[in-house]
Amino acid sequence: MRFRITALVGVLALALAACSGADDTEATATIDGPTITVASFNFAESTILAEMYAQALEDAGYPVERQLDLGSREVIFPELTSGDLDLLPEYVGSALSVGFGGAPTSDLDTSLADLRAAFEAEGVQVLEPAPGEDKNVYVVTGEFAETTGVTSISDLADAGDVTLAGAPECEARETCYAGMVGEPYNLTNLAFEGIAEGAVRISALENGEVEVAALFSTQPVITEKGFVALDDDQGIVPVENIVPVVSDEIVDAYGEDLVALLNEVTALVTTEALLDLNGRVELNAEDPADVAGDFLAENGITG
Amino acid sequence: MSFWDRFVEWATTAETWTAPGDGLLALLAEHLRLAGVALLLSALIALPPAVWLAHRRRGRVVATVVANAGRAIPSLGILVLVAVLAIEQGFSTRFWPLIVALVVLGVPPIFTNAYTAITAVDPMVLEAARAQGRTERQVLREVELPLGLPLLIDGLRLAAVQIVATTALGAVVGPTGGLGRPIVRGFASLRGGGDVELVGASILVALLSLLVDRGTTLLTRVVVPPGVRRLQAG
Repeated sequence: MRFRITALVGVLALALAACSGADDTEATATIDGPTITVASFNFAESTILAEMYAQALEDAGYPVERQLDLGSREVIFPELTSGDLDLLPEYVGSALSVGFGGAPTSDLDTSLADLRAAFEAEGVQVLEPAPGEDKNVYVVTGEFAETTGVTSISDLADAGDVTLAGAPECEARETCYAGMVGEPYNLTNLAFEGIAEGAVRISALENGEVEVAALFSTQPVITEKGFVALDDDQGIVPVENIVPVVSDEIVDAYGEDLVALLNEVTALVTTEALLDLNGRVELNAEDPADVAGDFLAENGITG
Repeated sequence: MSFWDRFVEWATTAETWTAPGDGLLALLAEHLRLAGVALLLSALIALPPAVWLAHRRRGRVVATVVANAGRAIPSLGILVLVAVLAIEQGFSTRFWPLIVALVVLGVPPIFTNAYTAITAVDPMVLEAARAQGRTERQVLREVELPLGLPLLIDGLRLAAVQIVATTALGAVVGPTGGLGRPIVRGFASLRGGGDVELVGASILVALLSLLVDRGTTLLTRVVVPPGVRRLQAG
């Protein structure tokens, strides 16, 4: 019996060694300095973005360690400000409101300035934002857009009785339903239905049970199903540009070269690129690391 | 304001209870309607085969399998599964997916208890009934069902309590779920003061389950013949 347990432990140890071995092959750091711990939230897009930064850094010779799929901001922020994590792809609006209790607007410059000030006090730097955003969008089916001519949220006023399906908390938020039936849109013909799951909102939209559904701008299902994202012409939805945040320690240790490389990667991240990359992971079940690697190679960052 | 101050203010605002569509009274009505339909369907599906099989003293294996399956089914799992199937088939997720999930949860306790109730009737009593010239139908209606009634109703009670509690889970997935809706909404906006309605609605669901539990116990007093009750008490 003792022999069996020893054998089992041995097999497990081998298996573990084999797992970790796969990661070691790509990381041969040529630049001396502290290891850069790259983190991500626990959804596909965040993992893809974190992989992009991690692989770009590795390719340039920086020592990199990954701590991906970590969970929500409540879990990650304390580790980021304490220095256990060094780099995280963030979203301007959510970082400010959820992370710091701030009030992001639809204006990128002011929201970004607020976020920089908030992070600076914690020893974390906010680099340049990406052109792409993953923000709340309100979508209608292509058919609905065609027959009613609706292209913006304001246009909904002339679309008869319509219902918006959103997460339950959307109802009371000024950035969501409350900002549509009240100031600034004042839509009196818009009803609300709280549906927690995104997939169920999409099905309600397709079945014609609701006319408008709240989704995220980089959800590949939007292009897949031919939904039309309504223009937020009065600007109630906060900006959610992707922006990497990096600890002071790492920026101080590696300086301008590192910042320039990260900004170069960030500049490539458009909403369209994210739709495509998310689609490869969420619809085709490809590995986020491979998808990120392909993207970097195509754009001449690596390889 | 402390949590309790906000809670009292919330609970004493008329709007909280009477708002059309998502006031607590409207949600309570929705909750009871969903749970009621599910319980009725579960009973209609489970009772006839259970009673027939038990009367013929057949299908012991079936009864065991149903009982074990009933214990093993995770409520949220079955709910998500049915919702996913509905989405894939392009059906509405509004009403039926939740009902189907609740019925799947409600059938096993009703079936198992009804089956056990009737097979547990003393064979000597059945023999005496047949010796007196009762037909099989009479044996079932006049002997087995009355004697098994307390246990059979107990199955309905188990199913009702589970269905009432699980109905709230509907809000985790779709646009329904009665009193589960303020719970899910409150959880999603905890920092925005959602804690109040989360706690309030949770208390209501718990109270509702207790009420249903007590209610079915009272039902036993009303429908079970006095003689059978004395037998059980003795």
